[in-house]
Amino acid sequence: MITFGFLINAISLGSLYALISLGLVMIYGVLKMVNFAYGELIMVGGYGLYLVGSKFNLPWIFVAAAAILAAMLVSYLTELVAFRHVREKSLTALLITSFAVSTLLQNGALLIISPRAKAVSLPKIFSSSITFLGITTPARNILTIAITILLLLGLSLLLRRTMLGIALRAASDNFRMTRMLGIPANLVISSAFIISGAIAGVVSLFWVGRTASVTPSIGQGPLLIAFIAIVVGGISSLEGAVVGGFVYGILFSFIGVLLPQTLLDYREAFMFVIVILILLWRPEGLIRVKYAEERVG
Amino acid sequence: MKKKSIFVLSLILIFSMLLGACASATPKDEAKPLKIGGALALTGINAPIDEPALRGIQLAVDEINANGGILGRQVEFVNLDSKSDPVTSADVGVQLVQQGVVAIIPAADFDMGGPACREAQKASIVCISTTASSPLFGSKALGDKVFTLSMWNTTMGAAAAEFAYKEQKWTKVWVVTDTFIDYTKSLSRYFTEQFNSLGGTVLFEDTYTQGAQDFSSQLARIQTAKEKPDFIYVSSYMPDLGTIIRTIREAGIDLPIMGGDTYDDPGLFEAVGADYGNEIYFVTHGFLSKEANPRVEDFITAYTKKYNEAPEAIWIMPGYDVIYVLKKAMEKAGTTDGAAVAKAMEEMTFDNLTGQLHWSDAASGHMPTKAAALVKLESGKPKFISWITPATLPEP
Repeated sequence: MITFGFLINAISLGSLYALISLGLVMIYGVLKMVNFAYGELIMVGGYGLYLVGSKFNLPWIFVAAAAILAAMLVSYLTELVAFRHVREKSLTALLITSFAVSTLLQNGALLIISPRAKAVSLPKIFSSSITFLGITTPARNILTIAITILLLLGLSLLLRRTMLGIALRAASDNFRMTRMLGIPANLVISSAFIISGAIAGVVSLFWVGRTASVTPSIGQGPLLIAFIAIVVGGISSLEGAVVGGFVYGILFSFIGVLLPQTLLDYREAFMFVIVILILLWRPEGLIRVKYAEERVG
Repeated sequence: MKKKSIFVLSLILIFSMLLGACASATPKDEAKPLKIGGALALTGINAPIDEPALRGIQLAVDEINANGGILGRQVEFVNLDSKSDPVTSADVGVQLVQQGVVAIIPAADFDMGGPACREAQKASIVCISTTASSPLFGSKALGDKVFTLSMWNTTMGAAAAEFAYKEQKWTKVWVVTDTFIDYTKSLSRYFTEQFNSLGGTVLFEDTYTQGAQDFSSQLARIQTAKEKPDFIYVSSYMPDLGTIIRTIREAGIDLPIMGGDTYDDPGLFEAVGADYGNEIYFVTHGFLSKEANPRVEDFITAYTKKYNEAPEAIWIMPGYDVIYVLKKAMEKAGTTDGAAVAKAMEEMTFDNLTGQLHWSDAASGHMPTKAAALVKLESGKPKFISWITPATLPEP
């Protein structure tokens, strides 16, 4: 049953999960907060695709760019309007704020657009299949893998070669020290939100591209996946998020294929048992970092 | 700044007092309006079904009011959002009863709408769901004043099985069930039961979980199956239903796909599009065109006039129907008393937009007898095939 086509599917799912997790861990890095409104950024990207795609007659690449920009903008705005004001408060305040932002965005979409699923326009490549080495696979799968690799390369260049990247990495290691060295906190945090929004925007292309429609609650699934993946992979580093995403996606695919019919109902249960075993073996996740500190205000 | 806002606030207060005075002044000349309560969910997972139903309800209420109301009284419809949540549903039911409603329209689901009906039952007023299709939604589980306008899942599953086995001569099926909610599980169960009893073979029963957005392992199983099925029965709902169908079609599998009323969603038609929207059959409540029922044409005209857009989802029609069912039953009973209205409903046959409907008596569960509409997607466009009344039904 494990064919080459299935492997491509599994790797494609793994890379999508890796991307999703990366967006979540970006913010965790600087704020030490799991942003529960992250799923809604994916939703915003989806509605961007729907609105721009159905109202304006633009080539799809511009529609996609608009969707990614919309997710970046909303991500930045949530930081500006909501998170910035509670940043100095307790972690509980931050977490509750992120739930509030999530509810607000979701219900906003519900009221302003519609509770019903809206179909988004997709380019031909999202619904065509390609045949090579004797298998037929959706072109989208290959595209997902390629875009993930490109984004990972781009992001690691940004983080290692630019001033902003170095500041971001320094901030996620030791935020107080970074500030003392004269790096403006607002700049670092806003950048993290904007990058997280950009990743959410790209994710929305592929996530919404699977079903070709968007609903107000579409972000809930990816949020949960990202949350589990970063815990499994190691919450303190970007590498951990990527590894966690791949492990989760590939594991999920394999469990789905290898379980016998009578146990298929318990696919999630098996998945979580494995996750718990991994955590018992490595409580800090698969990727350990040399130094990680608790959150400071 | 502060002064200004206080000024604005007091203006609002004064205006609302004036408005309140106006509102309480009018009913003096006529009898007080008849209040019908809605516990429909405008948020949460049932909102995609309940929100269109509410629009249908409002259209019917407007029409009835323009033509003299029910029992000579104007109708007022109050909806309180039950948020797709069982606890809120019960709370909203209590609130509506306290407001003096004469009937409750709950969220269209047994879990999310049932609690409001229990409150209606306690207060001895009727409770009618638009499209709750669980066989539990009736007098046996909820009480002798509770009804649903929808066929039960027994009919929905059996209609698909009969059409496939008897008319299309398909004998082998591959079943995929979304295990996230009860509706999809019970629909698959009745479908497979009926398909087996007709003589068909269920090759495999696979599962899926809403929200996973990945159908690749299930696809791998279909692709490597030793015996090829004649068709695939998928019991799931949007948005993941779009993913499932697209994944199957993208892999080059063009076998017929069948399912229930959750397929009846313009979002799905567009999501599968002209390329993948072929050989897809589903059993639903009715069809938005005069082919299925000549009266639908007038309904579409009236709806378009009120909302400035054509009705886009099937779920609007049961909302419209439910108010007319109440009107007819109350006028036959000559009163709004719950027991009398429920009795009238058991005795009458209703000619709805969604077809003829008759309920059995309370002792046999208020089982709805109604034909199912079979619809096919051709190049992403829905096409009405026929009304189906299954010859036999599985036990609820």
